[in-house]
Amino acid sequence: MYSSKLPFSAAVLKWPALASVAVLGLSGCTVANTDDGGAAAATDTVRVVLSQEPPTLEACESNLTSTGVVVRSNVTEPLIERNPQSGELEPKLATEWKATSDTEWTLKLREGVNFQDGTPFNAEAAAFTIERAVNSKLGCNVEGYVFGDVDLAVKAVNATTLTVTTPEPDPILPLRLSFLEVVPTSTSSTEKVREPIGTGPYKIDTWDAGQKITLSSWDGYWGDKPAYAKAEYQWRSESSVRAAMVTSGEADVAMGLSPDDNIGDLGVDYPNNETVALRMDANEAPFNDIRVRQAVNFAIDKEGIVSSLYQGKHQVAAQLVPEGIVGHNSELKGWPFDLDKAKSLVAEAKADGVDTSKQISLVVRNAQFPKITELAQVLQEQLTQAGLNVKLKMLETSQQLTYQVRPFPEDEGDVALMIQHGNQAGDAAFTVDQYMLSTGAQSYFSTPEFDAMIKKADAASGDERKKAFEDIFAYQNDKIVQFAHISHQTGILGVAKSVNYTPNSSSGDELRVSEMTPAS
Amino acid sequence: MLIYLRKRIVSSALPLVVVIVGVFALARMTGNPASLYLPLNATQQMRDDFTARNGLDQPLLVQMADYFGGVLRLDFGQSLRTGQDAAAMALRAFPATLQLAATTMVLAVVLALVVGCWAALKPNGIADRISSFISMAAASIPDFWLAIVGIWIFAITLGWLPTSGVSGASAWVLPIATLLLRPFGVLVQIVRGSMVSALSEPYIKLARSRGAGELRVVTHHALRNAAAPALTVAGDLTVGLVNGAVVVETIFGWPGIGKLMIDSILQRDFAVLQAAVLLTAVAIFALNILIDMGYALLDARVRPVTVKA
Repeated sequence: MYSSKLPFSAAVLKWPALASVAVLGLSGCTVANTDDGGAAAATDTVRVVLSQEPPTLEACESNLTSTGVVVRSNVTEPLIERNPQSGELEPKLATEWKATSDTEWTLKLREGVNFQDGTPFNAEAAAFTIERAVNSKLGCNVEGYVFGDVDLAVKAVNATTLTVTTPEPDPILPLRLSFLEVVPTSTSSTEKVREPIGTGPYKIDTWDAGQKITLSSWDGYWGDKPAYAKAEYQWRSESSVRAAMVTSGEADVAMGLSPDDNIGDLGVDYPNNETVALRMDANEAPFNDIRVRQAVNFAIDKEGIVSSLYQGKHQVAAQLVPEGIVGHNSELKGWPFDLDKAKSLVAEAKADGVDTSKQISLVVRNAQFPKITELAQVLQEQLTQAGLNVKLKMLETSQQLTYQVRPFPEDEGDVALMIQHGNQAGDAAFTVDQYMLSTGAQSYFSTPEFDAMIKKADAASGDERKKAFEDIFAYQNDKIVQFAHISHQTGILGVAKSVNYTPNSSSGDELRVSEMTPAS
Repeated sequence: MLIYLRKRIVSSALPLVVVIVGVFALARMTGNPASLYLPLNATQQMRDDFTARNGLDQPLLVQMADYFGGVLRLDFGQSLRTGQDAAAMALRAFPATLQLAATTMVLAVVLALVVGCWAALKPNGIADRISSFISMAAASIPDFWLAIVGIWIFAITLGWLPTSGVSGASAWVLPIATLLLRPFGVLVQIVRGSMVSALSEPYIKLARSRGAGELRVVTHHALRNAAAPALTVAGDLTVGLVNGAVVVETIFGWPGIGKLMIDSILQRDFAVLQAAVLLTAVAIFALNILIDMGYALLDARVRPVTVKA
């Protein structure tokens, strides 16, 4: 009879067991090429968990969210900064600035500021920063994002005075300059630098690639000493894991959480300036008839989407920029949900010969923001109910970008592209020029009248500028209807009870550690 | 044995070249990565500059010749995303995956041998039924779900383990437990089946009739003959893990090659993708040779014959 009792001793497992011990022993339970910083962080360290590792900390790439969130106003600083609450520009390394002609701006620079390598900050460094980021062949991301093809003429008049000249009058040059993080003249102007030197309150201590970045407070900082001596950044792709790290005490601040992450009262909502909308291609049928584009707006139940998918945390949108952006039109109301009206508009267009049965591709980027798949399915269903023939195309980022940016794919039929637009700059020009101008990189169409309105708004300043952009958003909804706006999003930040921090609309792009303090 | 090894290495070279060429060509067929690396409103001039700066404006054959020239000099190029040396990034990530895979497979094999042999001693007995249920469940549970549930129970609710990361011995537990279950479940089934078959062979009866103890029967007679199928499957499972435990690496923040490869595919980071695939392919070829040598040790019939003059 066989016995079901184990008939052999550990001897039979001698070799596998030895191998197992050897593997663990050799590794010493330390993952290869990592620093075993296992102990809980000290109370003078704030631990932040990001959604991805920054590809670089290069200052001229700091408009990239994953880079800027670590480097901006922590390691490096701009000449001018935009207050995220008031929207006003405020002094940083420049103390004052004014237009000295139509095309020239003069900036007075702060004295007594040093870089973390001990060299002084002066007009020469400021001029070098602008030349390097805007006029060089480095291919800086901030150049394309903020300045386009425009080169700037920069001159260090003396140690504390800088002039910047633009080819055409540019009323928002100071706002554009707020995107440039200042670096010393010793920074390479022929290669990008992964770990920059700046004037900020923290300097880069260590970067264990793949694992974590540590910043330490810099004693030579010109401003107030920050409360935390160190900031430690890790990254996890899964938002539920980031939330769990705050819940379990492994992190103090978690970025980019989803309403489903069950973080409870440790989740803090903040307006992240992102807006979700559908962009419709009016060069093809059936969107070449404005009634069909209006029907799309009527067919989408925005209130239902916001309340059921996003727990009421988002706001129904009536334009591409949220409140707080210069040019936001607070008079505009979202299109009401009216399925009957949508159906009748589609029927009218069909009666006039528009082929409303032609397939529309609803193009959506996988995992672009929380619950995007569910949102896409809801939209497909609601547009189908309105009488349109919609096929959902879920694509990865690279493929989706071919639909988002010119030149758009040909022979694709009609396309409704789901966009998530974030205006980091605070001025509607950064939205309108891209999305509404006939030559805009992300615009399907416009009209000569609309283009003229946009050009005029771009050149205006002050209240005139604000009014001009407000009119543009109203005109879009009334006469153009390239967009079906859905919602202004709300970001969720996980903040442990051990930390005092109130996020604002720029926290997703620029997380200032100096604004965090330990809870008493 | 040396001749055998030399033959295997030579025969592996061609597939390796095919892999390199295939990855190189397929990656470039996915389009120009400029739109991923430039702002959405970048001008055409900026796109052209980016393409020229990274040599992507050259004909494919020229790019491929440059790449092969670089490989021969062990220069795999620079990452588009980080600006770092692509080979250094792959070499930094690979050992972390290897450690995870090796530890997981050793534990899976040990546990599967114990449980599989135990189940095989009395087919359809209670032990067999329990082990069948456990192994089927283990082989069927999706690792993504298991990882998240593991974090919820052991990190959040009980607080025994860290949620993720690589700090300290406790950080190994959840990733290994998550990875372990499937190979364990599969291997238990294989070991159990092979052992049931081996234990019914005439030579086992002969061994017993000669008075051999149960331990000797199982380890020296049955297990030795039943091990080959398990070794084959364990080899395949190990290859899968060496290729990168993407889900586990992603969820637990394990800085391994699987996550690096997926990220480099999504980011069209060609140089890193090529370096990571080449390194993994070489490792898998080496692993296959080791598995073949393992067969030879287990079974005299597959040992290379050396004919003496």
